[in-house]
Amino acid sequence: MARPRLTTPLARSRAALAASGWVALAVTALPGGSPLRWIPVLAFVGLAPGLALLLPRPAAPRPGAGLELFAFAAPLSLSLATLTATGLFLAAAFSVGAFLGILAGFVTVAALLPGVPLPAAGSGPEEPGPDARPAGTAFRFRERGRDGTG
Amino acid sequence: MSEGTGPDGREQGAATATADTAPPRPEEPAGTPDDPAGAAPPRAEEPAGTPPAPEDPAGAAPPRPPAGTARGLAALRGPAALALAPLLVAAALWLWSLSRIGFRSIDEFGLLDRFPVSFYASLVVLTLGFVLTLRRAGTAPAWPAVYSVAMLFALKAPPAILYDTVRYAWASKHDAIITRLLAEGTVHPGAELTGGMSAYDQWPGFFALDAALVRAFGVEAAASFINWAPVVLGLLTLPLLLLVYRTFSDDWRLVWTAVWIFQLANWVGQDYLSPQGFSYLLYLTVLAVVVRHFVRPGSAGPLRDRAFLDPAAAAVPPATTARRRAVAVVLLVPVVAAVNASHQLTPLMLCMTLAALCLTRRYRNLGLLAVSGALMLAWYLTMGRELFLGTLATLREKLGDLLGNSRPGFAGDPTGPGPELVGNANVLMILVLGGLAVAAVLLRRRLARSALPLILAAGASAPLVAVNDYGGEMIFRVYLFGLPGAAFFAAAAIVPAAGAASRAALAARRAAVVALPLALVAMLAGFLPSYYGKEGMHYVQPGEIELTRRAFDRAPEGALVLAATGAFTDAYYRYDRYERWFFTEQEVDENLRMLKDPAGYLAGGIPAGRPAYVILTPTQAEAVIGEGYLPPGGFATLTDSLKKSPLFAVVEESRFGVVLRYRPTTTG
Repeated sequence: MARPRLTTPLARSRAALAASGWVALAVTALPGGSPLRWIPVLAFVGLAPGLALLLPRPAAPRPGAGLELFAFAAPLSLSLATLTATGLFLAAAFSVGAFLGILAGFVTVAALLPGVPLPAAGSGPEEPGPDARPAGTAFRFRERGRDGTG
Repeated sequence: MSEGTGPDGREQGAATATADTAPPRPEEPAGTPDDPAGAAPPRAEEPAGTPPAPEDPAGAAPPRPPAGTARGLAALRGPAALALAPLLVAAALWLWSLSRIGFRSIDEFGLLDRFPVSFYASLVVLTLGFVLTLRRAGTAPAWPAVYSVAMLFALKAPPAILYDTVRYAWASKHDAIITRLLAEGTVHPGAELTGGMSAYDQWPGFFALDAALVRAFGVEAAASFINWAPVVLGLLTLPLLLLVYRTFSDDWRLVWTAVWIFQLANWVGQDYLSPQGFSYLLYLTVLAVVVRHFVRPGSAGPLRDRAFLDPAAAAVPPATTARRRAVAVVLLVPVVAAVNASHQLTPLMLCMTLAALCLTRRYRNLGLLAVSGALMLAWYLTMGRELFLGTLATLREKLGDLLGNSRPGFAGDPTGPGPELVGNANVLMILVLGGLAVAAVLLRRRLARSALPLILAAGASAPLVAVNDYGGEMIFRVYLFGLPGAAFFAAAAIVPAAGAASRAALAARRAAVVALPLALVAMLAGFLPSYYGKEGMHYVQPGEIELTRRAFDRAPEGALVLAATGAFTDAYYRYDRYERWFFTEQEVDENLRMLKDPAGYLAGGIPAGRPAYVILTPTQAEAVIGEGYLPPGGFATLTDSLKKSPLFAVVEESRFGVVLRYRPTTTG
């Protein structure tokens, strides 16, 4: 995949994702409980890791991808945050900086990597076959009979 | 299972190809005599390359307006005023009611007689507004979404907005676990804590997440956001349900009705800030990914043939290659791992569900099942080793005890008008939901066949009832995991398929005009007692919490703290410092024996030389009745007896409760 240019909306979204973790880390310097602190932190922890994995998708998404992005991003993010926090507590090494720093690093790396052909990020035909379409052609979810040839 | 086999018994590669070449079904007219608003599921396929509309995320709404925000606005235009009016009326009634909910003076019916009439009116208006929007659900699916979110908020936000203390004793227990985790900075999976509290160190995932959020938010404890958990979990669950249901139905009316019913039938109180609530969300995530992205090639058979499918059914999603499924497994590993790190039972439920799905050719994904099973076993045998081996040891005793394992709670039947009403409402809800779901499975065989994975997923965890009682909660968990499928088919029973022209279909559609709103209002009437009928156990005055904490702080480390039940806020306050004895949480016969001489009974159970304190609060009085531990009046008898006994000295007494200290020296 070509290196994304910051001029495209997708590249801008990924750059914003990459920045969001460091912003979340920075706002922890604000007084505890302040909405300016917990809202960015919650938004980052609850959405960014999942979005970083699911958002970088090549070409046109297939229908349903929007809802899938919305539906899967939060559980995936919270799962990654859970594993990070659990690992830190098991190692008796928990601190806010470590927790948010690891997640921010993960999101930054994931956002910089090329798109991964994850299911929710998928496009085009689901499996190669005689009726395979050119890459990047949107795929109608309800469209029947494009996969049954395998 | 034979779902992937064609009528002639052959594998369906060729049959699918036939279905592939079948001409698309023509667009139905927007309005028919039976479906005047045109709510029938759209049929026409759009040319490839059409971008999806954001308000039609599952990709099925038919007429595609322009792009961007214009599409969203377009969805709200037109007959939007008709859809908006009930929402505004309901919002006004709800807001007006909010400050009039008498939660500080809860009596025997929980919040039921403390909600003003306008609160109930707002919920009924929301229900009717939702039914109205269903008529245009095919073309404006955003409106049922708005109503579903509004209903979620209307039902579950009041405690979050109003209460000044943590709602629900078990949520407060989880708050205590998070607080301890932060104080310790680590977990001790091998350490033994009384009262089964070691398990929380062995499955610390969810608490670690909360502890991290507490620190990252800079707040004192999870108590500051704990009451919002039901709303947040509900919001996160909703799109997952939508994805699952859209996989099996093209009919937006059916899909949204199923989502609505799920919300109303989810009364079992597992949606508070809890590992099981969080794990359930992750379980649904895995289920949604699987049903949408794990279809094996060549397995659809006739299930893409419109002539075969129920008019409301969706064709089987596109199949995915083994490589893409493998990538999806990698994507799911953190989710499954988080389930395993957070909760004991959900991983087993997940594996059983995946195993049940393997019974279909469509979803025979042994790789995912193997990965999930391996993760589960890895956790069970390392972090959760002690509890896992302990549970295995009791299996012989519990195995096959269907009645015992399916009994809710420990004790007898709830006593008092409020708890009895709750009990009856629960039973009625189960009967109505189950009855509707079974009726739909029997009457809409084709839908049942195409949505077979939902049926299998719903029933997958039922065998666990034969294995273990899970502390009296197994029956609730089995219900919860059966709910997605049950809600879908219950909706199918009251949302008849549009398009079918038989006399029976016409009659069903006419009946549904009345039956649908009636059924939804009836379920609403069942939800409220189930969810709010025991609120006396769930809302605690700040004064009671202060009394409880003072009692614990007063007791020396290592003391034994007695309470009638653990179902009161802060029962587990600083739980690693004290041992607890919740002395009515046993068989009713034993409690009746205890009531004959409470002081002597308790003194007999206190180890010699052990400092001991008794905390009795109004919330416990509600709980022993609500859970059926004590007969009516039993708690007052107990309290009076202890206060008069020379074995116990009153340390503190107020309307928020009484604290007594054990005086062993007077026992002679």
